[in-house]
Amino acid sequence: MTKLVEVPVQFDERSFDQFAGSFAAAGHDGERLLFDAHAAEWASPYGLVGLLAAGQAAGGAASGAKERPLLTVPVNAEVMSYWARAGFFREAAQLFELHGRVPRTRPADESDVLLPVTPVRAAEDVHSVVSRIQDRASAILASELRLDPKATMGFAMALSEACQNIVEHAGTGGWVAVQSYHWRRKLARRVVVIAVADAGIGFRRSLEPTQARRFGDRWGDAAALEAALVQGVSRFRDPGRGQGLAGIRRYLARWDGKIAIRSGTARIALVPNWDDDVPLKEGLPEFPGAQVLIIIPEQGSATR
Amino acid sequence: MIQHIEIRALLRESPASGFTNLVTRPTGRVVRERIERALGAEDAAPVVRIDFTGVGCIDYSCADEIVAKLAARRAVLVVLRGLADGHFEAIEPVLAGHGRAILLEHPDGSLAAVGYAPAAAALLERLVAERVAGRRPGGTLALITA
Repeated sequence: MTKLVEVPVQFDERSFDQFAGSFAAAGHDGERLLFDAHAAEWASPYGLVGLLAAGQAAGGAASGAKERPLLTVPVNAEVMSYWARAGFFREAAQLFELHGRVPRTRPADESDVLLPVTPVRAAEDVHSVVSRIQDRASAILASELRLDPKATMGFAMALSEACQNIVEHAGTGGWVAVQSYHWRRKLARRVVVIAVADAGIGFRRSLEPTQARRFGDRWGDAAALEAALVQGVSRFRDPGRGQGLAGIRRYLARWDGKIAIRSGTARIALVPNWDDDVPLKEGLPEFPGAQVLIIIPEQGSATR
Repeated sequence: MIQHIEIRALLRESPASGFTNLVTRPTGRVVRERIERALGAEDAAPVVRIDFTGVGCIDYSCADEIVAKLAARRAVLVVLRGLADGHFEAIEPVLAGHGRAILLEHPDGSLAAVGYAPAAAALLERLVAERVAGRRPGGTLALITA
């Protein structure tokens, strides 16, 4: 029997838990999954890479599935065009059996898609991502987000470290996407968004061998996220480890940015003043791996 | 005698060949191991100048693998040059986190120490004590053996 997983009509970080709930409810008993995105009207980069992670988990050896999951693609032509420009279908075709008319549009080399959905499996992929983003992002960060030109390098560093989390900790591949858009709803300003997702082992399993005893009964997904993001803990004992997330945190503090990481059943966020997100959520629907969201807003008139 | 090492040349020989950015821990490890191999040679100089000219981005992982670990070496004085402003975004916090400092040579030849302040002060004192650097007329330090 095929089990249905509904893709939210507006698929972004706010509706992700709804998607994760549907994915968790479908179970992992080897039944084939059908991801239904036919009614989708919009998906953020976070939604797109999260959907790929779900496809990866649903089709992976651990799922017990004998066939690739199905994905019904959006019927809305504009939505389809955007998903194609964002590079989603190039990756999705390897994970899902696609149903519906997929446009032949190539991933965008210009416009608001700074980095189309790009696979990250090894260190070489991180090099490639950083090189591509440096070529494209400098002008946009300086002119549209009014970031100091020096901040471009920090942006590339943050992106590099976010991608390296996959290579070093996930135990599987993942995806990254970077986009700039005008965020009318929340900020009425432009933002640049980095979205990274994988369906790997997640923060709790990655840190468990070295950290679980320290936390005792408190140990779980939330404690693991807190250890990694707030305390800068790494699964490696080398004292230089754990610099990546700490560096991202410093960069975002300077530019009033936001980071949120979801892993397993928890989600942690460093919340700037312009946002009303909660710092920590527990007891969320189980979702494999880790999903990282970084948002850097256009800078105001205040001098930094 | 000062040994001169160009990071761009090492990058060309690394798995990241074709890229100009010092990113990812494996890349940093390869680059550092090549530097250490050069430092371990029998005719190695007491001072090594590592030139970062032409390097795009340095991330925290690479800064930790290369700069912080080289800063821990006592047998040789490591001097960095050719760094861009953005490179310090990674280098300074990584050094501070380890409680270490490293020497920086400006384009005019003057020296400074960056990183953990007490370690930076000690490093400058060592330069003078070992007569590797001397005061110039303006009061800045410069390598004597340059």
